[in-house]
Amino acid sequence: MSSSPAPAPADACPGPGYASPQEAIRAPREKVVYTICLYEGTGVEEPDYLATIDVDPESPTFSQVIARTEMPIIGDELHHMGWNACSSCHGDGSMARRYLIIPGVRTTNFYIVDTATDPRRPTLYKTIDGEEIKRKTNLSAPHTVHCLGSDIIVSMLGDAEGNAPGGFLHLNRDFEIVGRWENDISGMRYNYDFWYQPRHNMMVSSEWAAPNTFLPGFDLEDVGKGKYGQRLHFWDFAGKRIERTIDLGEEGLIPLETRFHHDPDSTHGFVGAALSSNIFHWYKDAAGEVQVEKVIDVPSIEVESFPVPMPGLITDILLSMDDRFLYFSNWLHGDLRQYDISDPSHPVLTGQVWIGGLLGKAPEVNGHRIAGAPQMIQLSLDGKRLYVTTSLFSTWDNQFYPEMKGAGGAMVRVDCDAENGGMTLDPDFFIDFGKEPKGPTRAHETRYPGGDCSSDIWV
Amino acid sequence: MARTYRVVLRNRDHACLEVGEEETILAGAEARGFRLPVGCRYGGCITCAAKLIDGKVVQPKGTALKRRQVKAGYILLCVARPRQDCTLEVGVESHDALFVNPFAVRGE
Ligand code: FES
Repeated sequence: MSSSPAPAPADACPGPGYASPQEAIRAPREKVVYTICLYEGTGVEEPDYLATIDVDPESPTFSQVIARTEMPIIGDELHHMGWNACSSCHGDGSMARRYLIIPGVRTTNFYIVDTATDPRRPTLYKTIDGEEIKRKTNLSAPHTVHCLGSDIIVSMLGDAEGNAPGGFLHLNRDFEIVGRWENDISGMRYNYDFWYQPRHNMMVSSEWAAPNTFLPGFDLEDVGKGKYGQRLHFWDFAGKRIERTIDLGEEGLIPLETRFHHDPDSTHGFVGAALSSNIFHWYKDAAGEVQVEKVIDVPSIEVESFPVPMPGLITDILLSMDDRFLYFSNWLHGDLRQYDISDPSHPVLTGQVWIGGLLGKAPEVNGHRIAGAPQMIQLSLDGKRLYVTTSLFSTWDNQFYPEMKGAGGAMVRVDCDAENGGMTLDPDFFIDFGKEPKGPTRAHETRYPGGDCSSDIWV
Repeated sequence: MARTYRVVLRNRDHACLEVGEEETILAGAEARGFRLPVGCRYGGCITCAAKLIDGKVVQPKGTALKRRQVKAGYILLCVARPRQDCTLEVGVESHDALFVNPFAVRGE
């Protein structure tokens, strides 16, 4: 190795991320990924942690957890996470993709984890106390973390007492609480995921339920009482207020993950309605009006001895970086699907694999029993490797897959054909979270150190 | 002077805690070094649910427990305060009747 660093090419941009989605696709392949591991509802009273997983086939520790970054207390229920900086500040040399912001849904504590000093052994850098957030902003139950330039915005699902509709928390680049991000929350009944497309001044947010409704578990009676969401909110992003709300109706019960095209010039995006198990497509038409249409319908299945037909339960969706493929998981049925969305109004099924699930189609994968089903999915920037974990949420896991609390979660890798479509389970990769040193954990969201297909936006 | 009650954790070797009437049972247990499941600490998430086998507690109205779960005998230790001597079953082992698959059961 030469002692002086190679000179940067003249056109190199000093900030984090990539100049465009096309450039992101050509990024170097990941060597490790980070995954949330949690102990809530398992009977092991230990703190949740961030697992660092070796995904480099050349490495002697390939397909193993190589580090565990523990949180200071028990009971957070770590869930989703986001970066302090992404391609949205690619032009800002003072920023770097360095910290993962990891909130706890049950405690509202935020943990800032340094992944840059040693990417193979991240360390806890800072904690923001959940009680302080509740006191200063009257918000609780953090979900999605996005950055925009040097600002960090987090969807919060409840007020300090766990009631709807919550709002959005604004942190600055030093992880200080600025306050609430939105100027006006009128029109929002519940909150969940959000994503934005600044070139069109658009932001979309979806609706789960109040923390006091979903934290204790899922109850069909609550759906009947209107305690779960069914609306999509289209925001005036700069004005920080809702411009238009679209009621998805019976077909759109519990709209969760929202995904814009990565192409910053596009107005198209998709959302999965979990309970109705439909995918909706939105876009702005020639007149600039938002249109929403159902484009995929996963039928519920009658299961012997179940009085109520079982929905697929679409819990996570993703778009490949080239905006060509849509992926989603049916967490109750147990399948993972890939659709070609070159024509976003007419998706074409191009791949499907089965992993666990209540229909019993794939009780084992690579010789391991699966207690759960595909849930969180995260795709590499080049669109070829999809990492899949099995836990949804501790209380919901305990309703639908009670054996997970003793058996632990799993991570599998699905190899995706980014040219012709198609998916296959990778036979060489498997993480059994049942074998963790302090006892079996659930495994939830995954992030790639160099960014992935739900972490970056372009301004 | 505030009264105290005896709270027995049946599945923790029948450990006996003295818990004040103004104290939550969770606080009493944690003060004695027990690590029990906990999350929100305000009665909103049922992570701390335990089965009340015997005795009486008060908890705020409008906790996150559903009617079915209350009928099955669950209380929330983070907000429950004793009003009599109590016997409890605690921890995830006590959650056998807490969760059901809503598609697999008939509504009440
Ligand atoms: S810890 Fe959440 S209800 Fe007690």
